[in-house]
Amino acid sequence: MAYEEPIRDYDELVENCTCAFCGCNCDDLTYLIKDGHVVGVRHACRLGASKVMEDMDQRLLVPMIRNDEGNLVETDWDTALDKAAELIAGAVRPVFYGWSETSIETMKHGIKLGELVGAVLDNQATICHGPSLQAVQNAGYPVNTLGEVKNRADMIVYSGNNAMNSHPRHMGRYSAFPRGYFRKRGRFDRTIVTMDPRYTDTAKMSDIWVGFEQNGDYEFYNAMRAVLRGKKLKKDVISGIPKEDIEELVEAMKTTQYGSLFFGLGLTHTLSKQRSIDIAINLIQDLNKFTKWNLVPMRGHFNVNGFNIFMAFEMGFPYGVDFSRGYPRYMNGETNTIDLLTREEPDVFMVIAADPGAHFPGGANRHLTNIPVIQIDIHWGPSTELADIVLPGSFIGVEAAGTSYRMDGVPIYMKKAIDKPETCRDDEWIVRELHERVQKIKGEKIASK
Amino acid sequence: MTYIDKPPVPNVVKFDEPMATERNKLEVMLNTGSDIYQGACKKRGSTLKDEYRHVSGTAYMDPRDMTRLGVKNWDTVLVKTDWGEVVVYAAHSRDAPHEGQIFICKGPWANVIVSPETYCCCDPTYKGIEATIEKINKEPLLMADLMAAVYMKYDKDAEKTTNRLTEKRINVGITKPEE
Repeated sequence: MAYEEPIRDYDELVENCTCAFCGCNCDDLTYLIKDGHVVGVRHACRLGASKVMEDMDQRLLVPMIRNDEGNLVETDWDTALDKAAELIAGAVRPVFYGWSETSIETMKHGIKLGELVGAVLDNQATICHGPSLQAVQNAGYPVNTLGEVKNRADMIVYSGNNAMNSHPRHMGRYSAFPRGYFRKRGRFDRTIVTMDPRYTDTAKMSDIWVGFEQNGDYEFYNAMRAVLRGKKLKKDVISGIPKEDIEELVEAMKTTQYGSLFFGLGLTHTLSKQRSIDIAINLIQDLNKFTKWNLVPMRGHFNVNGFNIFMAFEMGFPYGVDFSRGYPRYMNGETNTIDLLTREEPDVFMVIAADPGAHFPGGANRHLTNIPVIQIDIHWGPSTELADIVLPGSFIGVEAAGTSYRMDGVPIYMKKAIDKPETCRDDEWIVRELHERVQKIKGEKIASK
Repeated sequence: MTYIDKPPVPNVVKFDEPMATERNKLEVMLNTGSDIYQGACKKRGSTLKDEYRHVSGTAYMDPRDMTRLGVKNWDTVLVKTDWGEVVVYAAHSRDAPHEGQIFICKGPWANVIVSPETYCCCDPTYKGIEATIEKINKEPLLMADLMAAVYMKYDKDAEKTTNRLTEKRINVGITKPEE
């Protein structure tokens, strides 16, 4: 990597900004601003900096609608919003997917709109930590905050995730390296364990790497629980790990003062899905008979946890909430976006601050070609290639203020640093405007009857 | 600065077993997920550009598997699963050794070949999919071209059978009677 000169050419500094990338929500960033643009970011990781210093080439600036030839053409806000409201009001089974990269304030209007038209509201948890939330409902949620980890934890386990790649500042700011109240020497006072089939970048930085085999997580955790309860293992090698090593690891986990387990998508995307998280939570519960252990799911987007907390608070269910019967309903495998799409049920799909084009399996995206897709986003992405109406939103945490929830459930207010491009609108404004317009159309329909 | 820079890895890898020979096709297990290059490129919004194709449309392979298949860094390979087929680049994995496994970062390329089956648990199976990998002399498509070639949403003349997704649908997905 070539040496890069530090940026000295800027007009002003905005301090204590919150990063809008991953679930770490680092709230110590400094933006360097010149001519109303962020030209540099201090303290952020590679991911956060790349997102804040966005690629203006691909920024969506004006609302667009597909014409008959299949090209997106620019239009004004009124036309685009009316068209979108008309589609939503006329839909039988609309799905509003996304929400994880926007503010809680936007979701508030989203719920109103969803209730009004009987939509399904779902967020990215449905393709990432959905099984974790099911497991939380099955087995409990022994969660701690990242501050506790920093001040107390002397053993940290990363399971099925690669923090150095997906949450680069997690180890540096919250878990492995920082000096805490009871861990004065930082990294030297802590033991880091990584459980992953691959020898990932996180594993390379750990003290212990447990390379269990692919799809072996469920069996491995069960073996650990058995050892913890004083049972003898009958097999010599379990999930590719010799039984002596498992016994040694369990002994080490038992004798720590405070442990914390961070688990990621490696556990939720394999075949045992929520059952591997169930068993990890049960393992934590068993460990608490000996010493203090907690766990935190490594959430991907900065507000994916926010949607789950907000929905669970407002409607009683964390994600995949179906309003089609007039009251909130939630059924795994039925009201989740992927299942709805593979069954070809939705007739209007609204994507807000998400990218199904980049993240849904082709078998699910296939149905998006049959139905109108409305997109509210800030960049031209894979979903824009499938979208029929494009509404340019604004960037929460940089161009608009909003509330978000960190991966451990701590709410953080993200402040505004610069003005948005003139032709863009706030996500909150767009969804509120859609709600008002749909309400008007619905009202006219009732009046004409 | 580009996101294509990767830590240097040796181009020549020797087999442990001297009798091993080159093969045309390997059976591998496909994992998808994210890495820091893909994440940075995607969230910066540079998805239409060539660098996104390099960071997201690349199969990271064990160097031994690459030697067996006879591919070098940034050669192109065809990955086939039950759900579709896609052309991607091949590159040495930084997490090697993991023989018999390939890793493709999430993105439009990986989407074509991952399984939408959720087993009623809301989460599609993104990891642990059986796949075959073979050498091919075609360039991976850029994002916009790939989306057009795979989904054909605005191509009225297109016959849907020529896209890159297989006709295989999961059981719950059948709404029309099969012919």
